[in-house]
Amino acid sequence: MRADFSQPQRQSSIGILVMFFYTLQQYARALWPMIVIWIFKFDEVNKLYFFLGMLTVFVSIGVVSYLKYLNFTFFLDSENEEFIITDGVFNKTKTAIQLRKIQQVNINQSFIQKLIGVYELDVDTAGSNKKEGAIKAISHELALELKSRLLENEELQRVVGTSETTLEETEQKLFEVAHPFIKISVLSLLKVGITSNYGKSIALLLIFFSTIFENLQNFGDESNVYKDKVGSYIDKNFVFQTILISILFLFGVVLVVNVVRIIFKYYDYKITRQKGSLLLSFGLLNTKSTIIKPEKVQITTVTRNYFQRKMGILELKIRQATSGEKEEQKSIIEIPGCSATERDSILKLLFHKIPEKGLMLQPNFRKLIFSVFLSIGLPLFGFIAVGYWLEPLIFEYIYLVPAYVVVIGLIQYFRFKNSRLFIHENFIIKQSGAWDISNDIIEPNKIQAITTSQLFWHKKLNIGSIILHTAGGNIAFQLGDYSVIKQKINLWLYEIETSDSNWM
Amino acid sequence: MENFTNETINTRQLPIFEEVTFTNLHPKYIWVVLINLALFIGILILVPILVSMFKPELLSGRVWLIIGAVIPIFSVLLVAFSIIGFKKKGFAFREHDVLFRYGIIATNTIVIPYNRVQHVALHEGFISRYFSLAKIEIFTAGGSSSDIEIPGIDKEQAEKIKQLLMRKIQKQL
Repeated sequence: MRADFSQPQRQSSIGILVMFFYTLQQYARALWPMIVIWIFKFDEVNKLYFFLGMLTVFVSIGVVSYLKYLNFTFFLDSENEEFIITDGVFNKTKTAIQLRKIQQVNINQSFIQKLIGVYELDVDTAGSNKKEGAIKAISHELALELKSRLLENEELQRVVGTSETTLEETEQKLFEVAHPFIKISVLSLLKVGITSNYGKSIALLLIFFSTIFENLQNFGDESNVYKDKVGSYIDKNFVFQTILISILFLFGVVLVVNVVRIIFKYYDYKITRQKGSLLLSFGLLNTKSTIIKPEKVQITTVTRNYFQRKMGILELKIRQATSGEKEEQKSIIEIPGCSATERDSILKLLFHKIPEKGLMLQPNFRKLIFSVFLSIGLPLFGFIAVGYWLEPLIFEYIYLVPAYVVVIGLIQYFRFKNSRLFIHENFIIKQSGAWDISNDIIEPNKIQAITTSQLFWHKKLNIGSIILHTAGGNIAFQLGDYSVIKQKINLWLYEIETSDSNWM
Repeated sequence: MENFTNETINTRQLPIFEEVTFTNLHPKYIWVVLINLALFIGILILVPILVSMFKPELLSGRVWLIIGAVIPIFSVLLVAFSIIGFKKKGFAFREHDVLFRYGIIATNTIVIPYNRVQHVALHEGFISRYFSLAKIEIFTAGGSSSDIEIPGIDKEQAEKIKQLLMRKIQKQL
């Protein structure tokens, strides 16, 4: 029996709980520094007021979520071919989504939803950046039914276009869905966690510690006492040792955090093939699922560092066409911990063949000089200028200068050495990076526009830069052989302009 | 399939984008640039003058000296660069794509094939309208860095260019 969606209906009644937790989460996220202070100052607060306050907060959140539940309805208007969602407690909103504009319907499950046993249904349309329709609590059968009804339109068009699906094809499809062709094991995720994202993890840790530190400072008297004690403890002889130990400790924390983060995010990563698209699902607590349509893919990036090469893993990033720039970050799809053969099979699915590296371009050595000037010369000049004219005290840190010069110099040198542009008939591959070496792969027909740039004193040297703009981001290559670049641009323009190739 | 051919392209005979002759912006447009600059520099000078009249103690004499020296140098440089920038800007409409050249120290050329254009807009600024000039904006799906804005085109001509582009886009569909 088919479920009836023609009448306005509410979510599953257990959805009140989901609403409750989501609202609670929102408040908690906004107020967490206050909560931390509360917990520390628990003894000083009047207990009665505290519990009364907590009770009011919980009751009001409960009432709000009940009202939210009552006022949220959705239904399918089959006459106008629209999917209509009404919501809001005080300000009511009515969202009407035309069925033919629906691009994608995702069924997701966050941790809370997993606990309660309901699913979330997101409707994605072509028109806008944000997700327009989201039903927060719906049973799995109902979600599947609604998904198929929402996408019926598209199916119809497809059936008209192609011949009817035979029994064999349906069986094939069922087989494809049931047997993911790539599964990423916990071991690979462990490897990824150990070898990647050092910068990101350190930044996260810094943000975390600085918020804690700020909140500690707000305590007032108690922390002052603490500081005095610590101050007398640390002898100058121990400073070096402490720094070394804390750096080691920090590195350990970074590693553990990174491994845990990666496993939480990507646990049970499965990739299935469906009608030529890739269906991904992953996540330990929040299960996410997305679809990659090969024709929408703009830039594919293969990243690998020294350790990862030794361990035989690599990371894939796929950028799809976006409607807005804000969305750009979100629409990057990461596939961590693939092996080389898995990479090849994914690339084959996306491009129908394995990308080849063709003619190689390398940047002129002036690029190295320029980046060294920018990253070492200018900061050093600034340092000396500040020390000389404004604040001589900073010369006490002069011992940091050689370390900075060596580290940044090495990074710039390797970045220069790895910088390459490969031009093949069907592919353009840009290689870059100092430690994590990435290869950005695009097809020439994905190019939206081309910018060339040449400094006037580089005319005689015949070197120049190129930026290839695609709907998923830009690819830039600096100071290559300008006559080769120009010749290739003419060829690409010819190819783009003579064919009606589909870039999306 | 019978008509399908796949002959080798002679890359030497391809049209060469770097040898296109560019059309300069309308000569009247330099006045628009200069008036805009005059307004900007006017504010830049007016603010310190007002401060020095009503609250001279806010900054020390040495800072006033630096401000007095920096603003004229900055203004002269700004005017010089704007004039050079105006002279360097140029555009060309080929059969299949549009080219725009700009840049003072570096010469940048951006090419957009017509079959990648998403939409075209005509923009008239407050001062430009007085000189009956308009700006053509050409958008692609590649984000703001790959859009072209050609200022200083005669309004009638701009309208014609827009019509031409619209025809080119619609023919692709």
